[in-house]
Amino acid sequence: MFALYKKELQFYLNNPIGYIVIVLFGVFANFLFVKDIFLYGSASLRPFFDILPWLMMVFVPAVAMRTFSEEKKNNTIEILLSLPISETQIVLAKFFALLTIVAVGLLLTLSLPVSLYFLVTTTGSRIYIPELLIGYLGQIFMAAAFLSLSMFYSSQTKNQIIAFLASVITIFFLIIFSTDFVASFLPFIIQTGLAYLSPITQVGALSKGVVDIRAVYYFLSFIIVFLFLTIIDVERRD
Amino acid sequence: MILLKSVSKWFGSQAAVDEIGFEAKKGEIIGFLGPNGAGKTTTMRLILGLLRPTSGKILVFNEDPLHKRLNVLANIGYLPENNPLYGEMKVWEYLQFISDVKNLKNPTDITDLAVQLDIEEVLEKKIEELSRGFKQRVGLAAALLGDPDLLILDEPTSGLDPIEQDKIKDLIKKISKNKTVIFSTHILSEVEDIASRLIIIDRGSIVYDGKKPKGRGGVEKLFKKSVKK
Repeated sequence: MFALYKKELQFYLNNPIGYIVIVLFGVFANFLFVKDIFLYGSASLRPFFDILPWLMMVFVPAVAMRTFSEEKKNNTIEILLSLPISETQIVLAKFFALLTIVAVGLLLTLSLPVSLYFLVTTTGSRIYIPELLIGYLGQIFMAAAFLSLSMFYSSQTKNQIIAFLASVITIFFLIIFSTDFVASFLPFIIQTGLAYLSPITQVGALSKGVVDIRAVYYFLSFIIVFLFLTIIDVERRD
Repeated sequence: MILLKSVSKWFGSQAAVDEIGFEAKKGEIIGFLGPNGAGKTTTMRLILGLLRPTSGKILVFNEDPLHKRLNVLANIGYLPENNPLYGEMKVWEYLQFISDVKNLKNPTDITDLAVQLDIEEVLEKKIEELSRGFKQRVGLAAALLGDPDLLILDEPTSGLDPIEQDKIKDLIKKISKNKTVIFSTHILSEVEDIASRLIIIDRGSIVYDGKKPKGRGGVEKLFKKSVKK
């Protein structure tokens, strides 16, 4: 499994597209937060964590779209399936390789808390580090959930663009389920149910620095369900 | 080593292979001959557990290739049709990757195979930069890593020029000692040169299974007699 993890990781490290996507994510994430940093009125990264899902909506599917689509298109999936490695190992190796790439993208945003730390110490305030760490953990959970979804779509088609668009559209709807915009025209009960399904609702507590076990369960369930569906697809022998 | 009993594979209402059966013993080199779409690739994919048979029984090394997939595949080398490879990888990276997935301990295997298959000069090159002949040899090297007992080669000389075809044929003859080899082709001379046994498949059914006819042109005569127009 480690050999495939390494191979997948090397694809991004030896490919300019990998760097371009990661750097673009870092640049946009930093810019979108910094441009309004003096308007927030508090030394918190919560506004930044509110921006991230929208960026991940594009960044994560862009990284994950080729995972299985390209293997199927080039028929290299036949190489993998003729090697002594299980379908579960194939899916997990690819998932963790992609998660590593996404984590590197998130690492590029660490300049923000560092800058914020120096900025607020001059005013006598401070940044609460555990809140920051739990906030980042929440973002990693959310990225992993989006990844599992995007990998599932990638396993369904040979066309990377279709996989990308299907992932972006699904994530878009999952995000807007929790917004006031949806609440304004849907009955309260439906809106409450949909809001619960939204990763934005679930990541909210983690972004505030609260370890909400329900949110952790939600993300783990989401990830397991979509990885399981992907494994089922790879196991198909029709 | 391989046993197929009344195996059928249907895709919708179309039978790709219909009630086929044969046994392959250790050391045999079986030429799988048939026109395009006859069911050669489907049969090979069934043996590897890449397809689930609609009916019938398949045993490879006395195990079901679908349910004991990892055990079975650990001892098979496979060269798929059209030889798909990871073009962005260097040749040695690719072979190292296959070696790692097969959990092979001996790093000299790759060097030895590179010498044997004459690909030393391209080890540092990206696969996508190679000629078709070299790509085919890389695919063969990957199949041979770990010295598997069973080799399944799906049209190993397809798309190659006659000189490269001869080179690959010589290689297969060289590497096939003490192994069971099943190779598919629609090039009749290939079977005459390499195979010890011949299976002709036509429209999903085995129409001949036996010794290779002696003499030049024997395979061609048999093929024409066996395959419906």
